[in-house]
Amino acid sequence: IKIELLGILSPLLILHWEHGTGSPLCNTPDNAPCVLDHPCDSNIMTQIRSQMGQLNSSANDVFIAYMGQGQPFSSDVDHMCGHGLMSFPPFHANGIEREKLVELYRIMVYFDFSLDDTLKFQKTLYPNDQNLHSKLKSTMDILPGLLSNVLCRLCSKNNMRLTDTIYGLNISQENVFHKKKLGCELLLKYTQLIPYLAWDF
Amino acid sequence: MTLNLRTKKIYPTGYFIKYLYKMLTLWTRIVQASFIFLATESIGVLLDPCGHISPESPVVQLGSNFTAVCVLKEKCMDNFDVNADNIFWKTNHATVPKEQYTIINRTASSVSFTDISSLNTQLTCNIYAFGQIEQNVYGITIISGLPPEKPKNLGCIVNEEKNMMCQWDPGRKTYLETNYTLKSEWATEKFADCKAKRDTPNSCTLDYSPVYFVNIEVWVEAENALGKITSDHINFDPIDKVKPNPPHNLSVRNSEELSSILKLAWINPSIKTFIGLKYNIQYRTKDASTWSQIPPEDTSSTRSSFTVQDLKPFTEYVFRIRCMKNDGKGFWSDWSEEASGITYEAKPSKEPSFWYKIEPSHTHGYRPVKLIWKTLPPFEANGKILDYEVTLTRWKSHFQNYRVNDTKLTVNLTNDRYIATLTARNLVGRSDASVLTIPACDFQAAHPVTNLKAFPKDNKLWVEWTASNESVNKYILEWCVLSDKSPCIPDWQQEDGTIHLTYLRGNLMESKCYLITVTPVYDDGPGSPESIRAYLKQAAPSKGPTVRTKKVGKNEAVLEWDQLPVDVQNGFIRNYTILYKTALGNETAVNVNSSHTEYTLSSLTSDTLYMVRMAAYTDEGGMYGPDFTFTTPKFAQGEIEAIVVPVCLGFLLTTLLGVLFCFNKRDLIKKHIWPNVPDPSKSHIAQWSPHTPPRHNFNSKDQMYSDGNFTDVSVVEIEVNDKKPLPEDLKSTDLFKKEKSSTEGHSSGIGGSSCMSSSRPSISSSDENESGQNTSSTVQYSTVVHSGYRHQVPSVQVFSRSESTQPLLDSEERPEDLQLVDNVDSGDGILPRQQYFKQNCSQPETSQDISHFERPKHVSSVSEEGFVRLKQQQISDHISQSYGSGQMKMFQEISTADDFGPGTEGEVERFETVGMETAIDEGMPKSYLPQTVRQGGYVPQ
Repeated sequence: IKIELLGILSPLLILHWEHGTGSPLCNTPDNAPCVLDHPCDSNIMTQIRSQMGQLNSSANDVFIAYMGQGQPFSSDVDHMCGHGLMSFPPFHANGIEREKLVELYRIMVYFDFSLDDTLKFQKTLYPNDQNLHSKLKSTMDILPGLLSNVLCRLCSKNNMRLTDTIYGLNISQENVFHKKKLGCELLLKYTQLIPYLAWDF
Repeated sequence: MTLNLRTKKIYPTGYFIKYLYKMLTLWTRIVQASFIFLATESIGVLLDPCGHISPESPVVQLGSNFTAVCVLKEKCMDNFDVNADNIFWKTNHATVPKEQYTIINRTASSVSFTDISSLNTQLTCNIYAFGQIEQNVYGITIISGLPPEKPKNLGCIVNEEKNMMCQWDPGRKTYLETNYTLKSEWATEKFADCKAKRDTPNSCTLDYSPVYFVNIEVWVEAENALGKITSDHINFDPIDKVKPNPPHNLSVRNSEELSSILKLAWINPSIKTFIGLKYNIQYRTKDASTWSQIPPEDTSSTRSSFTVQDLKPFTEYVFRIRCMKNDGKGFWSDWSEEASGITYEAKPSKEPSFWYKIEPSHTHGYRPVKLIWKTLPPFEANGKILDYEVTLTRWKSHFQNYRVNDTKLTVNLTNDRYIATLTARNLVGRSDASVLTIPACDFQAAHPVTNLKAFPKDNKLWVEWTASNESVNKYILEWCVLSDKSPCIPDWQQEDGTIHLTYLRGNLMESKCYLITVTPVYDDGPGSPESIRAYLKQAAPSKGPTVRTKKVGKNEAVLEWDQLPVDVQNGFIRNYTILYKTALGNETAVNVNSSHTEYTLSSLTSDTLYMVRMAAYTDEGGMYGPDFTFTTPKFAQGEIEAIVVPVCLGFLLTTLLGVLFCFNKRDLIKKHIWPNVPDPSKSHIAQWSPHTPPRHNFNSKDQMYSDGNFTDVSVVEIEVNDKKPLPEDLKSTDLFKKEKSSTEGHSSGIGGSSCMSSSRPSISSSDENESGQNTSSTVQYSTVVHSGYRHQVPSVQVFSRSESTQPLLDSEERPEDLQLVDNVDSGDGILPRQQYFKQNCSQPETSQDISHFERPKHVSSVSEEGFVRLKQQQISDHISQSYGSGQMKMFQEISTADDFGPGTEGEVERFETVGMETAIDEGMPKSYLPQTVRQGGYVPQ
């Protein structure tokens, strides 16, 4: 089922890719060498895959937890949450490792910022929903590690130092309903995309 | 002014008070501020030091050198008239030797220390103000310590769902405040430092959640005032240091299809979602203490259930589980909570132990047989035993079935042979049948086991035996506690016929004597039982033996005791030890074999108190019985008799020999003790004539006393014409006189006046008479009237006599003589009368043997006893006449043949010699010298 889902999601990712969410710069603008504090682990790609798997193992739980807040999102998820996030970074599964890592990096940064906004909003809106809070927090704890591995891999292998600016969802100006709707759209996207990425890596 | 006053007056009272209060508060604050200002200024002046020490706050490494410099201020130097020469240093109030000082210049002086060893040292710079007053200039504290060592053995652990904690070995103690900082970073990012707490300088827990699958580099930085050092960096993926949470909700359930399996299920820790796990599953029976473990290769992958096989039916098992990352990196989780389950039942796997007892009460033709069996242990019952079925078969034809819930069944059987079978039944099925042959009454058991042994080992009592050559179906082991107080209540167990060594599976007690019996069971019935005694564990006896004496001798004592009751033995009595001692002596120990109940103590001291105590020993120790004392006697038994009896026998033998001797020598004895007294009446006066010449040779005693019956006759004439005191021997005579005087009333008068022709009193008269006698030297002694003896006609002769006081012996006073004397007395000396010379019959031997001085006394005694002896002699003579007439005849012949003269003469001759000696020795006038008597006459000297 997941494989089928991933096959459907791939063209969707491309379709939802928009300019302005960041440009995939593969080298540092000033051509400065990439410097790491210590060498990357030799099996860093395995670690990236494991991290993807780790995210994948909890993604559905996070979405379920979010849906547990009740109507109207729980009754018609696809209709309510399946058509947003026009600024979501693209991912090309058939790219080379470097390109895939760069795209992965942007996606994960996007998720990282967006989930952080969502968590902050949820904490305000539902301060007692510890289940959702902890799940969001656990997911967000994983993302920096994944990003570190990606950067380390790009740096150590491709001497790339990513410096482009990536933005997440801007939900600060929205009303509560729209904030909740954006959160739902984000987690649905996350739940749909993570298995695909985990599979691809 | 007035207005103002008025104005002021119109102020309300409360306002005025408030105003005053404000004013007062203001002034108080001003005063306080002024005081603080002045005080501060004063203190500032007062605290302004005269100099300072450099360095201000030194931290010195232990064992290193240190130099401090004290610099005086010019102002102070002028005020107190001092310079650097006046500086002296103190450490902890002790003055530092000046050898350690160095005068740098006029204002500065330094002090140097080598090998600082004190952790905290107060160093002060001091001066003598005005050359006398000691004043402190400045002071510092020298802190000593060590730089930190490089932390070692850095390691981290990530407890699932908790933050990562790292530990290290901080090394030696620094004595200084040392900070340990755990640093961590990714390749692309640094994290906040983790500072170890003061009380746990060897560990630190990171503040952030661990991020798996990202290598993190970790190291420890140790820093204090003396230095900073960093540990080796370690780089790892936190997932490889994870300690998962243990699996939870472990459950166990059985299977009705298979009684040997249990199914486990659990919930894995959440980390299982992104790492693989492996497991340890352990199990044990409920009562066991050790765990068995499922082979690790069977649980090396992530799972949430497992089926445990090869379990025992109807047995409760306890399980636990733990997990870790399946690649072996990381740490095992803690054990889960234990869960237990019971396997399903199976039919009993073994037949019950089966035995029988024939009750003692028999009725005619029947015997009550008590069938007994053991409940199957759980591992053989394989379920709850519902009941037992007993079948009794007699000659393969008639059988009876019994269904029993108990473990015994008593039936009345005939005296025939029976086959009994027993099966146990549970929910699933029946056990195999246990078959037992109950032989007929006339069955003779045989073929016992041999070499039966019992010994304790590993806190069990083992029994070993050798089977007989017959085929044995099984063995029955019975045992019971031997006791003097309670009967032997046996317990039993059954062993297979192939078993030759087993242990008793009962609840055995230590220090109890068990009687163990092994009975082989053959096809045709039980064999002969064999028994042995054994202890599970021996101990020292509870009581010691009570010793007592069986027999006590002078130098030995036989001790005896009773065997200890089996209840107090607590083991096999191996030997006894007897300790005995005297009150002051050393204790002596004797070991006695346990088979003995008495022992003889030898080499004891007589008449001594001994204390004895006795101990009985098992292999594990001994116990003394009560003390016992006894006293050895002074003499051995029979010792007195051994002395007395021989002495008495010796005495009797001596007496007997003496008697025999006397009997053999009776003639000689008779001669000396009671010789035959010549009867004067048988003498012939004619022969007494002094003019008659001697006819015999007096020296020939043999001739004189050929028969020994004739004794001497002596006449002593003592002339008392000298007024000199009498010699001692004659004093006796004087005493004799007195005695005679006292006995004059009954005197016979033979030797005295009674025999005298003179009318004067006898020698027993008064002294006046004696003095009268002194005047005449010779008097007529007697006149022999020849009245004839026995119709003989003697010739009358007149004899003159001396005034001798020699008495005549009473022994001569025969009755007929006394009568005669009386007649004479009555005649007052007028009538002619018979007169006798006092015959010296008064024990001539005695007279010869005793000393001369005692002789008169003996004469006296003879005079008293002579009569008696004369009587005895007469009796003896009379007997002699009757028994030895020949001898008597000889005496008569001698007497009548007037041949006793020689004997008398010989005796007189000896007497004369004695008398002469006395006279010579004493030098006395020989007025009363003994007269030599010749046979046939008396010649006055």
